[in-house]
Formats: sequence, C-alpha cells, structure tokens
Amino acid sequence: MRRSSSATSRIRLIAGVAVTGLALAGLMGCSSSGTTAKQAGSATKGNLVWWGWSPQLGPAQDFITAFNKQYPNIHITYKLVTLDGWDAALKPALASSNGPDLYGISPGPKVANYGEQAVDIAPAIKASLGADWKSKVTPLDYVPQMYTPSGKLVGAGVGTADGGSIWINKDLFDKYKLTPPTTLAEWVSDCAVFKKNGVACFVQGAAQAAFDRDHLQSISNSIKPGVWTAASQGKAKWTDPTIVQALTVWKSLFSTGIMQPGAIAAMQFPDAQNQFFKGNTAMIMMGTWETQYATVKGMAAAQSAAGVANPKPFVMIPIPYPSVTGTSAPQYSMYGDVDYAVAVNSKSKYVEAAKTFAVWLGTSEAGQQAIANSGGDIAALLSAKPDWPAMGLVDPSVQQAPIQALEDAAGTITQPRLGILSQDMTNAVGAAATSVGAGQATPQQAAQTLQDTFSAAF
Amino acid sequence: MTEASIVKSKRVRSRIPRRTGGGASMRRRLYPLGVPWILPALAMTVGVIYFGIGYTGAASTLSWNGLTPNPPSVGGANYLRILGDPVFWQALEHTVIFFVVVFVAQTALGLIFAVLLHSKVRLAVFYKIIIFVPVVLAPAIMAPVFRQIWGVEGQINWVLGHVGLGFLEQPWLAQSSTSLGVIMSIQIWEFTGLTFVLYYAAMGQIDPAVLEAAHIDGAGNIRTLISIIWPEVRGTTVALAMLTAIGSLKTFDIPYLVTAGGPNYSTEFLGTYIFRISIPAGHVGYGAAISIVLLVVALTMAILLQATGREKKGRIR
Amino acid sequence: MFEARSRPAKIGLQIIVTIMVIPYLFPLVAMVQGSLSGQGWENYARVLAVPGFALFFRNSAIIAVSTIVIVYAVSLPAAFGFSKLRIRGREFYFWLILACITLPEVVLLAPLFALASPLGLFNTYWSVIIPLAALHIPFAVLLSRNFIDGIPNELFEAARVDGANTWHAFWSIVIPLSRPIAAAIVIFTLLASWNDYLLPLVFLQDPSTETITLIPQFFVGEFNNDQTKVLASAVITAIPEVGAYLLLQRLFERGLSAGAIK
Repeated sequence: MRRSSSATSRIRLIAGVAVTGLALAGLMGCSSSGTTAKQAGSATKGNLVWWGWSPQLGPAQDFITAFNKQYPNIHITYKLVTLDGWDAALKPALASSNGPDLYGISPGPKVANYGEQAVDIAPAIKASLGADWKSKVTPLDYVPQMYTPSGKLVGAGVGTADGGSIWINKDLFDKYKLTPPTTLAEWVSDCAVFKKNGVACFVQGAAQAAFDRDHLQSISNSIKPGVWTAASQGKAKWTDPTIVQALTVWKSLFSTGIMQPGAIAAMQFPDAQNQFFKGNTAMIMMGTWETQYATVKGMAAAQSAAGVANPKPFVMIPIPYPSVTGTSAPQYSMYGDVDYAVAVNSKSKYVEAAKTFAVWLGTSEAGQQAIANSGGDIAALLSAKPDWPAMGLVDPSVQQAPIQALEDAAGTITQPRLGILSQDMTNAVGAAATSVGAGQATPQQAAQTLQDTFSAAF
Repeated sequence: MTEASIVKSKRVRSRIPRRTGGGASMRRRLYPLGVPWILPALAMTVGVIYFGIGYTGAASTLSWNGLTPNPPSVGGANYLRILGDPVFWQALEHTVIFFVVVFVAQTALGLIFAVLLHSKVRLAVFYKIIIFVPVVLAPAIMAPVFRQIWGVEGQINWVLGHVGLGFLEQPWLAQSSTSLGVIMSIQIWEFTGLTFVLYYAAMGQIDPAVLEAAHIDGAGNIRTLISIIWPEVRGTTVALAMLTAIGSLKTFDIPYLVTAGGPNYSTEFLGTYIFRISIPAGHVGYGAAISIVLLVVALTMAILLQATGREKKGRIR
Repeated sequence: MFEARSRPAKIGLQIIVTIMVIPYLFPLVAMVQGSLSGQGWENYARVLAVPGFALFFRNSAIIAVSTIVIVYAVSLPAAFGFSKLRIRGREFYFWLILACITLPEVVLLAPLFALASPLGLFNTYWSVIIPLAALHIPFAVLLSRNFIDGIPNELFEAARVDGANTWHAFWSIVIPLSRPIAAAIVIFTLLASWNDYLLPLVFLQDPSTETITLIPQFFVGEFNNDQTKVLASAVITAIPEVGAYLLLQRLFERGLSAGAIK
C-alpha cells in the first residue's frame, strides 16, 4: 500500500490507465490483508463493541447490565445502527481491523455477506448447553440458512420473529360489533362497515418488500401450504398456480377496499405502524414482534411515536390470517426465522470474551428470560417463556390467550421467512407485489418475472 | 438591446484576457509559474477522486460483493448487462425528465421571485429568508415531512378537499403516474432558493437607467422581463443549467428517502440504483459499471453545456 | 424591476408574493409541528438527552470547520492560479478538477474505504474531512475562478510594478477582494459537511467521533421508528445552518452574484 500512496501524486501525468492499475493494486492489497493472527484472549475479560439493528438501546443496556452481574470484567458498548444503514456501515467495518467485536446477523443475505467473517459459534453453544443443545433451542437456530457454505454456525440465535398473523384493534371491532374476519368475504364486509364509520380497515406498508413477502406467503399458505417455501427453495416454479392465485388474491385486496389507499407508497415502519397506533385503524399485518406493543408501556411508546398527544391504550390481539379460499376455519400457518443472532468477529482481539457474551445472550436462562419478557422476539431457548404479569398487558383477560396461541403456533414453525431469499429475490417480490397491486402487471406476468429473476440469480 | 450591451461591457472587459487567445501573452507579463498554486487542489481531487474513479473502473470488471478476497474477473460482462437492464434505462429516462422539468420550473420561479422582490415589496427580507431556508435543510431532514404532506391523509389532499377540488385527491406517492412529479416538486422546493438568490443578485447589476428607459418607451412589465431582464441574466441561466444537470445526475437523497425509488421503479435514479445494487444487494462490480457509465454521461453533459454556454456568450459579444 | 406605482398595484404585488411564498413556508411549518407532536417538547428533551449529544455536536463542528478551512485554503490559490497565472495546459488541469463536480458520493464509498483503511484513517475526523473537501474543492474552484476573473488585471500589474511578488499580490489583492466569494464557499461547504450522513456512517464508528446526522439512528429500530424525535433532531441540526446563512446573507449573495455569473 505504501507504494500506491506515494504514486498518487504522479497520476495526473500518467492518466487513466495507470490509475486503473494502481487501483487494482490497492484493491488486491487490501483484500489480501484479510487474515490476521488469532488472539483469543480471556473468556471472562475484555472490552467489546457490539453492533446491532436490534435490540433497541434500552433493552440492550438491560441485557448488558444483567450479563455484567455474571461477568463483571467484560465491558460491552452497544451501538444501534439502522437496518437502512447497516450494509453501508458494516461492510467496511468488517473489512477493517477495528470493526465491532460482536455484530448482529440474520439468516439469508446477511449470512451470505457477513457469515465468513464470523467465528463458528457451535462449539461454544455445545459447551454451554451440552451435546444435545439442538433439543433445547428453537429449530430455527440451526436451519441451513444459519450456516455458511463452509459449515460454520454464524451466531447464537437470540430470538425469532415470525409472521402469519394479523393484529387487530379489538376495541374498534367491539365498538362496531364486528367479529374478526375468518374468510376473505368476511374481511371485505368488515371493511365496508368500518369504512362507513370513518375507520380505516387495514394498513400495509407495501413499499417495504419484506412485508409484501410476508403477506404473499400468508395468502399462498392459505391456498396451499408450503408452495411458497418450495418456490423459494427452487423446488417449485414461481409460476405455480398457487402463487399466481396468491398474486390474484393480493390484487383483489386493492380492488375490494381492504388495502388502504396509497398502500403502495407506505412503509410498514413508520407509516403503517403509526397509522395503526393512532387508534383509528382496525387491522395491520404484523408478526410475533408486535407483542411488545400489546403492553401498557409498549403501547404508550408506540402511540407517542405516532404523534398521539395524550395516548389512551387500546386492546390489540393477534388473529390468524383469514382463509382466502373460504373453505376451512383459519389456522396459523406461520413462517419465521432467527430475528437476530450475535456473531463474533473473527478479527476481534477478544474472541473468547465475545463468545462468552454471544452464547450468554443466546442460551443462558438469564439472557433468554430477558428476551422473552421484552415481547419483541420469541426467545430461542425453549425453556424461556414470557412472564405475562411482569410484562403488563393492557388487558390480560382478553389478550393473554390469543397472544399465547400465537406464540404456541410460532413454536412449531417449519417454513422460513426472510432468510431463504436473496436480496435480489426479496426486491423482486416487492416489485411483483407493487406492480400487481397497482394494476401494472397481471399476476401471471408478475409470477413469470419472479421466476426469471430466480433463474437468473447473479 | 444596444443599451444592454453597453451596460454589459464593463463586466465583459474584465473577462477578455481569459477568453481570447491573447490571454497567454497578457499573462506572461503578469506573474509566472502558476503550477504550485493549483497543485494542492489538483493533489486533493486527483488523489482522492481519480483514485476513486480508477478503483471503480477496476471493480467494474469483477463479480464482487465488496468483501470476498479474490473476486473473479468477468471482463465487460457487467457493461453488457447494463444494455439489457430495463431499470437502468428507466433511471436514465427519469434523470432526463427530472433535469428538464426541474430546470424549467426553477428558472421560472427563481426569475419571478427575483423580479418581484426587486420591485419594492415590503418585508422583502422575510420572503427571501423563507425561500432560501429550504436550500439549507438537508433532504434527509425533509424526507419524512414530505412523505407525510403528500400522503393519502396528508395536507395536500386535505387542501384539495377543502377548496372544492376533492376530485383531485389521490395517493400521490403510490402511483407511478404522479410519484416522479412529487419527487421533482420536492427538488424544486429545495433549490428554488438558490436559483432565486443567483437571479436576484444578477438583476442587481442591471443598470436601473435601462429599465427606466424601457418604461418610458411604454414597455409593460412582462415586456421588460422578456426583452431586457431575461437576456441580461443569460449567464446565470447557463450556469444554473449546468448546476441542475449535475444535480440531476447526483440525485439520491430525495427519491431514496421519500419513495425508495418506487413504486415499480417509477422514481429510480442512477444514484439510487447504484446504491441499491452495490450496497444492500452487494453487487459491487455491477454497481461500479453503472457508476462508470454515469460518469461518462455526466462528463459529456458538462462538456456539451459548457460548449453551448460559450457559444451564446460569443454571440452576445 | 416591475413598476407598481399605484396603491392597488402595490398591494396586488404584495399579495402575489405572499401567495407564492406559502408553498415554501408550509413544509417548514409541518416539520416543526411534526417535531412537537406526541410528547411535545419532551421530544426535544429526549434528543438533547441522547448520550454524547454535545460530543456529536462538537464533532460535526470540527469536521465542518476543518473542511471549510481546507476547501478555502486550497481553492482560492488554485482559482488565482487558473485565473491570473501562467500555467501550461491550464484548461486541461481546470477540467481535470472540474470533472470531479459530477461525481456522486455513493460512487466513492468503496474506493474511499479502500484508501482509508490501510492509511489507518478509520474513526478519525480525517476520513470524513478529506473526501468531503476533495468533493467540494471543484465547485469552490469554479466559483472563485469566475470571481477572480472579475478582478481587473491592472490591479495586479500595478502591484507588480510596485515590486510585489506573486504571494504578496495574492495576499493583498485576492484575499481581501474575494471576501464575498469566501462567504459563498463557507456556506456551501458548511451545508455539505454539516448535513453529510453517508461518510460519517461508514467511517466514524466510535462515539467519540460520530456526528450529529447520526442522532436519528437512536430513534429508529427494527420494529419502531419514532418520527417525532427524528424531526426534533432535524430541527436542532438545522439551527446552526440557518444561523450561518442569516449571518452571512449579504456577503453570500454578493459572492454568488459575482462568482456564478459567468
């Protein structure tokens, strides 16, 4: 590298060709400096920097405080980075020698991009939970998408985020004496009543591809479970009749007045979320993560974030996605994956200490109980169950049973959520959803585009 | 026109040495050895930016996610890919539309504001500040505000509904037919202030006697604007065309943050596309190839504009 | 410019301007309103209570001031050189610099990273200051060259006859006469460096060097996005810029008028 920097002053004379060569030298020089000597360090002592897009600052600090009761000599600084800025920030950081010691990771594109930089965590998990560790944690912790091509487990899953549910504002349903829809037809008629009374029926942030993907998978599962996953795995075509039909149903959500006007430009966060918490919208498609807002404290925060001046909490409960074929009573047909795991940077100076924290958060009773009670993720450790009284639901008598049913359903998940699709495919699903929703493509055309993108994967 | 040319002569004169071929001999009589004076600027731009361009050029021949150590070379495949990439061509088309519309609207608005505020309006300072403050605010700051204003439940629809134009209410950001228009309107809102300040300053240099003479000759306000003011500020207009062209090619924040390039790529620009391709999707090689194409387009445009700008000036003189 | 001699005409003019300005004012009002919704002033209190807020503010100031100083110190001599000194292949070099105006920041991220990493610039102010300065020098050179073109050669000739060398001429003629264009450079560079988000995001990873544009991150998570606080931090971020503009308004406008009109 020294050669290249001293040469820079000559570039203007040598012009473009030389610049290119120089840059290539730089490129190779940098990329070959990737391997560093392993300095394991102590497992109970160190200064760690942890980056994540989740959890929020408050909970993260709580986790660290609880961890420090057990390991007082491991000092951890948490930095919250938005998902939007994640790739821009993490990519160079990991390539440098002073990136974070611990970083968030989730199955799919993030494992593909940042998995190789992580230490294989499986031995440490085994050391913590025993050889039969797989029987003690959610199966989503060890799906193939959590491993790199070379077989490393990239991180200890902290908790899962699972979709397939719709959250409703129970107070609004009660007020207009409506029952939650179980079929598409009921959904349409409920919406008509709400609309007549000036209440928005359903909100979706269709500008965010990940949530379009959720919705399409739910419709697809309601028609014929498993086809969506099969297509994602390449075991079925994206032009399969089930997926074409799912896109057709999706299109009908726009024409029958279920979708709010302007859904295509809305983001799930903050737009749709805020609209729901303003209290004048009956339904939103969110997964298990929304449990955190069913509590008095979580609801107050969400409402003030939505700009409500004097928030009054309302009762929200999850329901299964309605049956679009109308043939059977709806059941949860859920999909999910590890929301985030904590990966240990192989270049860290404190690899052992970092492993200690990653494994503690993902597998210890204390760490996992804290996750379970946060309501954001479902804890990865099967024995950690939410302590409902401690969480303070708005109305436990109404909420606890449906939320428990949702969590139970989430415990049996076999279908992956985001982790199975590449970033290109997720974008393509978003484009298919918005173009069909806007009437710019037919469901058949959109399905064909999906199949083309899938086949042409970079 | 003749008065105008005379007024202009004062400024033109000081430019002559640079523009005419005789400049070199004139300068020889001044100070020699200018190279050390431009060296720091050259070193910084060349050292940083040309390094960047060279690096991007090299990366554009690779299939690379930006992290793996030994990316395979794919030769010109990334460039061939661009030819068949509909989103790229859409993005290019949006850039052109964006440039034309934004330039025309900004020029008109900036000119009108400048003329009006030169016309003995009370509290002109306040108006000036209001028009200029948007220039100061980062687009990133304003994006959420505009998402709200143009939203379905937003203030634009509210106003339309309350002035009897309810039939015009629509989900502005959610339709491919209106989203690009919204993006352009935000850009216009942000940068009219700059156009205005430039025109305002340029008009300050017009000799009041010329305007007075025109009024005495019976020229109306509009006539004065078209035949006296507009030609006088032509230099500013050309400079603004160049700035807007560059701005259009660099457009990133507003479409990225307001519509994320959507719906259905209807507000995708080269900048947003490059970002999306290279960073979240991790195709650094392909993103680099598009960057290089962007650079070529930008340079061609700059040279063209500079050339036409000069031609016009030559004619005036 | 426009003739409005009669009283009704004057009032009419005033009304037209007022109506035209409303669309410009409106989003600003919406922004302040948004920042006060929900918890009201508490939003501002929460932003100010972000750990290290003062530090972020200071870091942004350091970066902005350093960038301004570098851009000014490098561009003005260059503009002087291009305008008044003898340089072989002058237009070639000028275009070499000018071409950089067209480059978006996004394109530079990866290469800048490749440059900063081996030089050990990560987490230092320099990793943001140097690229920012490099990106804004071309525009500053363009502006100030046009401005200096407007300074009559006779002034320099007279100085030379009086025995002043190049440096002396620069110091005693260019610097004092170019104050208005300096104001323009200060404002443009301030806006660009103070508002920059991408470079600090990538290069400043330690709280001791992070900047004010990273503050909204504290209110945006995976499953929440508190726009009321994001807007409050936006208002706080904008205050110094509006202040700088108001302070330099006169000079700034004069500088632009002489610099950008070619």
